[in-house]
Amino acid sequence: MEIRLVNLTKVFPGNPKKNIPDTRAVDNLDIVIPDGKLIGLLGPSGCGKSTTLYMIAGLLEPTSGEIWFGDEDVTRLSPEKRGIGLVFQNYALYPHMTVYKNIAFPLTNLLVEEPVLDQNKQKILAFYKKHVKALPTDIPTHKKGETVHNPYTKKDEVLKFDCSHIAGDPILDEKGNQAYVTRKRHLYKLEMDKLIRETAKLVQIEQYLTRKPNQLSGGQQQRVAIARALVKRPRVLLLDEPLSNLDARLRLQTREEIKRLQRDTGITTIFVTHDQEEAMSISDEIVVMKLGVEQQRDHPQEVYNNPRNLFVAQFLGTPPINMFDGHVKNGVLTIGNDKIRDDLPKDIPEQDVLVGIRPEGFLVPAVNKEHTFNIHVDMIETMGRDISLVGSNEHCLKPTFKAILDADTEVKVGPLAVGVKPNKCFVFYKDTEERII
Amino acid sequence: MERKNNWKAWLYLSPVIILMAVFTFYPLINTIGISFLRDYDYTTGANAGFTFDNFGYVLGLTGIERNGQMVFYTDVIRYAIPNTLIIVFVTVPLSIIVALLIAVGLNSIRWLKSIFQTIFFMPYVTNAIAVGMVFAVIFDYNGLWNFLFGMNNTYWINGGASSANGMFALCVYIVWHALPYKILIFLSGLQNIDKQYYQAAQIDASPRWKTLMNVTVPLLSPQILYIMITSFIGSFKEYSSIVGLFGKSGTSGQGYNNMYTVVYYIYDSIKNNNTHLGSAAAVMLFLVILVFTVIQFKVSKTRVHY
Repeated sequence: MEIRLVNLTKVFPGNPKKNIPDTRAVDNLDIVIPDGKLIGLLGPSGCGKSTTLYMIAGLLEPTSGEIWFGDEDVTRLSPEKRGIGLVFQNYALYPHMTVYKNIAFPLTNLLVEEPVLDQNKQKILAFYKKHVKALPTDIPTHKKGETVHNPYTKKDEVLKFDCSHIAGDPILDEKGNQAYVTRKRHLYKLEMDKLIRETAKLVQIEQYLTRKPNQLSGGQQQRVAIARALVKRPRVLLLDEPLSNLDARLRLQTREEIKRLQRDTGITTIFVTHDQEEAMSISDEIVVMKLGVEQQRDHPQEVYNNPRNLFVAQFLGTPPINMFDGHVKNGVLTIGNDKIRDDLPKDIPEQDVLVGIRPEGFLVPAVNKEHTFNIHVDMIETMGRDISLVGSNEHCLKPTFKAILDADTEVKVGPLAVGVKPNKCFVFYKDTEERII
Repeated sequence: MERKNNWKAWLYLSPVIILMAVFTFYPLINTIGISFLRDYDYTTGANAGFTFDNFGYVLGLTGIERNGQMVFYTDVIRYAIPNTLIIVFVTVPLSIIVALLIAVGLNSIRWLKSIFQTIFFMPYVTNAIAVGMVFAVIFDYNGLWNFLFGMNNTYWINGGASSANGMFALCVYIVWHALPYKILIFLSGLQNIDKQYYQAAQIDASPRWKTLMNVTVPLLSPQILYIMITSFIGSFKEYSSIVGLFGKSGTSGQGYNNMYTVVYYIYDSIKNNNTHLGSAAAVMLFLVILVFTVIQFKVSKTRVHY
């Protein structure tokens, strides 16, 4: 199911007496989350990503704006009516219940509709059949204890029914002689058991069903939390920092697990994280947020390759992008006296700019002798598959910067002229920090 | 700890140890000893030797020969024990349930929360005797209770009120006086429960009563156990409330000790220089409380989640 956030805004009121200003946690957020996709909300802490998630869940009420689940406006709907599953950051598993009971808990509250043969409706139908030649096309619905006038008898006699359990409109089968009503009921024990075991199998915790949460490891607890969210077949699955409590190895494993679960179940999933690697690796799309404002939304690779502004460029990528002071004149980009690129549009006015070069954007040795970037190599770190070069340049915004090179590249400590890949080199306005090219 | 410093530790502990030895441990052991002595006189320490009869006499099993007739003392078995059991098994569960509901209510309101907390805590800082005197006025023949509920011809605490009426007034008073401390403990426990449990329950469409029974109560079980054990012990020892409500008579005006509790009997025995009988009753009370507490701990092993 598609989720649409329309001008969603959340303001946490401050206290004017104590001079605490209002906090705009989420500001005019407009996002469409396509059906069946896994979306990562990404941003540094305090960027409003968790607030957004809690608003989608219904635990926080938006100050303004709308939330749509498909064709349904759920903005003012309470959380229990939204049909969502939420996995909390610290899982919030009930410590006194076994894993089985934890997963069963949402099911015990679930009401399912099922058509049942309505005895009273049948009585009415039988009555109509007996006293009236033709079966009425539509049978009026009656309330409990109501006196029913039969419009089909000539004597205008008053007939009484026991209409104690009638709800909804009657449904006739093709023969026209059965009456069904939809009845709401709780799940039976066996149905629950089946669902619980299915879900437990899906997240691979069948063998732990009788344990208490504190007898499980962090990763297992997390899977129980996911199972609890999934067991009631939610329309939307929300994950709040799902991997932050796990150790590094488990994190890699679990994020693949989440991706697999999402693909298998096809539930629209939104997850919140501050870890860009995590978001990039499993999301179909990522939304980068900063101070409550959406910065960029696209496929992870696209966001990485084409950051819209300096913030996005700096936030994505490890090691982070290297920033330099540069200058643009007549379509030529220079850092200091080094020409980096000359393929910029000529209509960019001459100005000082910020240049971002991804660590993998350096060429050693430089291919084009005209465009070289003179750096000083301070240190070389061997990392097996590739080498990391710690260099310095007087125009770099930091004392040192990092370049990732092939392991078989030959470099020595000392001055070095390198080339720069144009597609790994981004130019930003110095004042607005928006991307120029 | 290094051995050579041990004497220092003992030195620091000595004031407490000495005081406790004199005023707690010695009386405790001495009580057991006295309970086995015939006709013990606490002023002189004179006694007529070892006997088991004290226990029998207290329980009305052993008689005393008086004017050539065997006289059985039955106030304990007829009044004190039933009254104590009623107090224990009525007021403790009732006050725990009421306190829990009030605490949950207080925890969920935002407006005027601290004011209500203060109001509910007031009875705790009020003297039991003073509260008893006020309740005595409320439950008077012309009192507020009869006025409010239109019971014009009912005596509750004096003028020959029935034992049932007396117990009713007493239980109302005990529950009311027991609430504030329990509310305080429950409230502090509730504030320690992670809000996310409730958010999770809300998302799972759990009705309020179910959240209360399946989430709040189990997560509050350590506090509930603590309150249960302390108030069971406290209720077995109920005494001051009877003095407060009925005065020093131990009766609702029936002419006999129909408002007796076990501890009331113990105090009365000591007052009447029947220390050996009071000691026997105290030893039996001790054993009963011990058994109850052990049972509670055993039961709690499976029910309390820390």
